[in-house]
Amino acid sequence: MSAVLSLREVGVTYGRGATAFQALHGISLDIEPGEMTLMLGPSGSGKTSLLQVMGCLLRASRGSVRLFGQDLHAGLTAEALAALRLQHIGFVFQHYNLFPTLKAWENVAVALDIKALPRAQQHAQALALLDRLGLADRAGHYPSELSGGQKQRVAIARAMAGAPRVLLADEPTAALDGKTGQGVAATLHELAHRDGVAVVVVSHDPRVEPFGDRVLHLEDGRLVDDRRPPRSSA
Amino acid sequence: MNAAGRGLGGTSLLAWRNLSHDRARFVVTLVGVLFAVLLMGVELGLLLGFARTTSGMVDHTQADLWITPAGTTNVDIAGRLDERRRFEALAVPGVAAVDALMLQFAFWRKPDGGTESVSMIGYNLASGQGRPWNLVQGRVEDLQQDDAVIIDTLYAAKLGVAALGQTVEINNQRARVVGFTEGIRTFTQSPYVFTTHRNAQKFTFLRPDQTTYLLVRLVPGADVDTVRDALQARLGRVDVWRSADFARAAQRYWLVTTGAGSALLLAALLGLVVGIVIVGQTLYATTVDRLPEYATLRAMGAPNRYLYAVILKQAAISAVLGFAGGMLLVGLVVLGGEGSTVAVAMPAGLVGVLALLTLFMCMLGALISIRRITRIDPTSVFQ
Repeated sequence: MSAVLSLREVGVTYGRGATAFQALHGISLDIEPGEMTLMLGPSGSGKTSLLQVMGCLLRASRGSVRLFGQDLHAGLTAEALAALRLQHIGFVFQHYNLFPTLKAWENVAVALDIKALPRAQQHAQALALLDRLGLADRAGHYPSELSGGQKQRVAIARAMAGAPRVLLADEPTAALDGKTGQGVAATLHELAHRDGVAVVVVSHDPRVEPFGDRVLHLEDGRLVDDRRPPRSSA
Repeated sequence: MNAAGRGLGGTSLLAWRNLSHDRARFVVTLVGVLFAVLLMGVELGLLLGFARTTSGMVDHTQADLWITPAGTTNVDIAGRLDERRRFEALAVPGVAAVDALMLQFAFWRKPDGGTESVSMIGYNLASGQGRPWNLVQGRVEDLQQDDAVIIDTLYAAKLGVAALGQTVEINNQRARVVGFTEGIRTFTQSPYVFTTHRNAQKFTFLRPDQTTYLLVRLVPGADVDTVRDALQARLGRVDVWRSADFARAAQRYWLVTTGAGSALLLAALLGLVVGIVIVGQTLYATTVDRLPEYATLRAMGAPNRYLYAVILKQAAISAVLGFAGGMLLVGLVVLGGEGSTVAVAMPAGLVGVLALLTLFMCMLGALISIRRITRIDPTSVFQ
């Protein structure tokens, strides 16, 4: 299997001079398709910075990042990075970040619209994605009418719109109760295994850990552990 | 809101929902646009109405050229010409006919007392050059009577006239109203009083060989500029104008030199500025409220133009709805003005100009929001 994301000696520094803060130090790793990678670590360990680098949202200060072989070098414009995100990456956020004025299916359809899918197909595809996540009967509801778990599944459906090859999730279960959180983690795991998506999940949540095919542990901006548990419980 | 949003998609849907979700702010935006359209529409309509009024006499003749006393700046104020000069004009090649037209101020004594200033218009009944238009009561043939005059219904009350046949005094000479026109306004507020050239000479004490203007019609195919130059050379100390040029000169005189046009344009500009400020402020507030959503879109990979489209469509929706409401009110003002001495003109061309101005106003108002969106940091979605 070839890596979808390759990081070599990646470092990230915020600020300059005396106030400079180094968030990541020499991170090297490959993210493979078809598996769910968990990123664990205490607050401030650099998990989110690393996720942002992987998601073409943050430029690495040092080292190299390759997405499907393309070098995300400093010369790429913000628009070029946005185009790469659009083509390859889906995001799931801790607080869902759904558009509150749009219904569930419209939230998914917006992602398809950005990808320039013909309008006539957007409704059907959005409904199909929601149906797959068990939300067909909630498609016409606004986010304010959905539970936390339902909102996160809508967010996952939106992230999956247009079939990205990489799905990056930031604390996707943090705002959910135990059972719901496990359900969301199981959904992400299924996406990795069934669709061959490279899923990377940043989490503090021990309930998610059993679903990880691979577990990365960060401390003080360094990758201190990279292991594959013998058998996922998912 | 939902019904209106049905059928929309993508940026249009986001734009509509962003606006309609906060109804109070949306109403403020629409009222702002509506007020700006009303102000611009009425002021520009007044400007055009005044422009038409100032050149109305010129525009309603069929003359190709006007011969005026030297130094004439507008049709309402002029010196005198020797009427016999029309024979000199007739001798110029290309001239088919020359008719005298008189326009002189006079005093109108109302039947129940009081005096008003009027503009006496004396024209050649046979040629009809300078005849009243929009006649709604009476016949122009009745002007053949020595004391007959025609006035406009808009000024009838001002002149103390309630019905046909009423007699008044013009410069202490008996005059009788034999007809009414409708909608012939004057910028000078001295109402036009139509009569024959001979009667006008009598009412204004001009000698039988005196007139104000000579109106020239050309033979078919004659070159207007060539004939004008020939007339100027032949007649000497007079001004010879193409009709359109004389009309524009009259408009320029009244609207520019009196400052009336500047005041109206300034008020219209004020409307535009007010609209830009209100649209800019409310759209910006809406944008700032929704920055996390724009950041999410950006994180999802939306190009800047997608975000701009949302903002610009919000501006366009505000423009369309505000314009519709504003034009409804402008229409009421136009209707209301039809019965008054002040006309608000609203031809299709001006409606188009207002639509473009409204769109321009709203797009300009959206720029500040676009500037804010340009600087959005997609990593803020993780905060």
